[in-house]
Amino acid sequence: MKNQPIIIVDAIQKKYRNSAEFSVDQVSFEIIKGEKFGLFGPNGAGKTTLISMMCGIIEQTSGEVHYFLEGTEQPIAKVLTKIGFVPQDFALYPELSARQNLSYFGSLYEIPKNELNSRINFLLETLGLVHVADKKVATFSGGMKRRVNLAIGIINNPQVLFLDEPTVGVDVQSKMAIIKYLDYLNEQGMTIIYTSHHMKEAEEFCDRIALIDHGKLIALDHLEGIKTKYEVEDLESFFIKLTGLAYRD
Amino acid sequence: MRKLIATLKKEGLVLLNDKVGLLIMFLMPIFLVFIITIVQDSTFKLVSENKIDIAINNLDEGNLGDSLVKSLTAAGAFEITTYKALSNKACEALISKEKKLLVIVLPQHFSRDLTQKTSEISQKMLQEFGVVEKNKSSKHLAINNLEIIYDPVLQENYRLSMSNLISSYLGALENQTMITQLYQEMGYDQVPVDLMKLMMKNNTKIVQTPANASDKKMIPNASQHNVPAWSIFAMFFMVVSLGGNIVKEKSNGSFIRLKTIPTSFSLLLMSKMIIYLIVSLLQMVVIFSIGYAIFPHIGLPQLSMPDSLLQLVLVAFVCALAAISYALLIGIYFSTQDQANGFGAVSIIIFAALGGIWVPTFVMPEFLQKVSMVSPLHWCLELFYTLFLRSGSWMELAEGISVLASFSAICLVFVYIKIKKQKLI
Repeated sequence: MKNQPIIIVDAIQKKYRNSAEFSVDQVSFEIIKGEKFGLFGPNGAGKTTLISMMCGIIEQTSGEVHYFLEGTEQPIAKVLTKIGFVPQDFALYPELSARQNLSYFGSLYEIPKNELNSRINFLLETLGLVHVADKKVATFSGGMKRRVNLAIGIINNPQVLFLDEPTVGVDVQSKMAIIKYLDYLNEQGMTIIYTSHHMKEAEEFCDRIALIDHGKLIALDHLEGIKTKYEVEDLESFFIKLTGLAYRD
Repeated sequence: MRKLIATLKKEGLVLLNDKVGLLIMFLMPIFLVFIITIVQDSTFKLVSENKIDIAINNLDEGNLGDSLVKSLTAAGAFEITTYKALSNKACEALISKEKKLLVIVLPQHFSRDLTQKTSEISQKMLQEFGVVEKNKSSKHLAINNLEIIYDPVLQENYRLSMSNLISSYLGALENQTMITQLYQEMGYDQVPVDLMKLMMKNNTKIVQTPANASDKKMIPNASQHNVPAWSIFAMFFMVVSLGGNIVKEKSNGSFIRLKTIPTSFSLLLMSKMIIYLIVSLLQMVVIFSIGYAIFPHIGLPQLSMPDSLLQLVLVAFVCALAAISYALLIGIYFSTQDQANGFGAVSIIIFAALGGIWVPTFVMPEFLQKVSMVSPLHWCLELFYTLFLRSGSWMELAEGISVLASFSAICLVFVYIKIKKQKLI
């Protein structure tokens, strides 16, 4: 069903202990099935906190996240097999090879052995890691580690994929390979929620864009809608217009 | 079950790929057990088997100095070089240049003083027996001391044991002189040869018997202490590997990723415990095998194994569990590897020192002996002593096992509280 929301974020708030301000403050939006949703903002805007609450890593102070992955609402624990998460850090075991990492995380989803092996081979092939499949990840370049990080996040073939700055610190080739593969996954029906502060990526990749600053949602629209509404040529101008030029920590 | 097997496999692979960690876990205790046992055993042999290289500066004008030298030489414990009339500087040079461990200086009036002392006693005895008339006053003599000049690096206990050995020969010489004088006072020319032989030969022997319940008399030696002691140390030193491993997974985001995967965090911790439990038991098997099979071939005392294998396995298991629980606690509570490794390693060294791994607790001051009870390594060592040296019963093992099981439970409860607080389970 087109335009069917599969995740509803409802007035969500997060205040960390020992912090005077909300890191995420009264944010509400919907994720539509099959879309590529970009969550953008300067450093410290609250993107990672928001995406972490959406995939159940941290608990919100107030507000709710509703999941409708199978049509009816389900708690987060029930949808874990259907979501994938690619964190900003290399959340993998550098002492193990790419294949061993994929095999371990895949086994935790209890994917049948033969199916898991063919998925691992497919991912290694698609992400250009076949030649280093059995080498320790510790010996990989930043771009190769990012690709392994991505492969782990999609080993369960999720319906919804959360990516937190998946292209940070990689060269243009790896960045393009990652974006191209995310496009492919989206064409196969995967919903993608993506955080970044690279405006160019957002323009090329996302269907809808949310801009968050100081924990608040300050804009949410399609690219063309944003350009018209804010009378800007590109997203970078839009970003500066709304968030200013002051340093962010 | 598949998740458990996958996690066990992952933990095993991570560990096998951590070459430095494996070296610390296996090679370090093997080196320690070899080095410390050889050092302790050779110190023991230095006193009991080897001849100790000493010098005697005999300034004595009489002949009792020569008699003492003769009996010390006959004792066979010393390699003696005798000098006459050396200065103090020359004696010190014997230690610094000739590498003598100590120099005994027999004073100029050694014979005169010793004879006068013994004469005074024999006179007193004869007066008491009524053989001679009592004198009005007896003159007490100031006796020149026998001096021992020693190498300052010589340990106090070693110095004392040599001093005691010399004292016992000095005592025998005094007795001999006193009896000779008694005979002379009573009008005999000399002590009958038979009596003198009887006195010298018929010493009461001291038989040392270790108190243990087994028929198999296990003699305390360097191996019986060091093999279990350093195995325990190695088990606990695993805090560097296991604690660091947990901190690394926390900081690199692997724990966070696990929260988005349908798996249990306790499964991960359980897998770590199982893998490291296997490693601990392997450490023990390797080190004990070295003590049992290799030590005798390199001249070290063989490790005597306890009677009950079941007791040994249970004790090893309880000790390993305590070590792993402590490592988990450190790993969960510290946020950087530097903190975890630093605190973990230092705490184990302190626990080891308190627990009697290096120096037995019975030689510690009383308050420190009480403090040593807080060290899990003390309880582990006590359990192994009970098994290896006292052939203890289940009842005797029960206290140590209960203490270590409680220690493990407390650590695991704190681990649970922390991970619950972090919403990891």
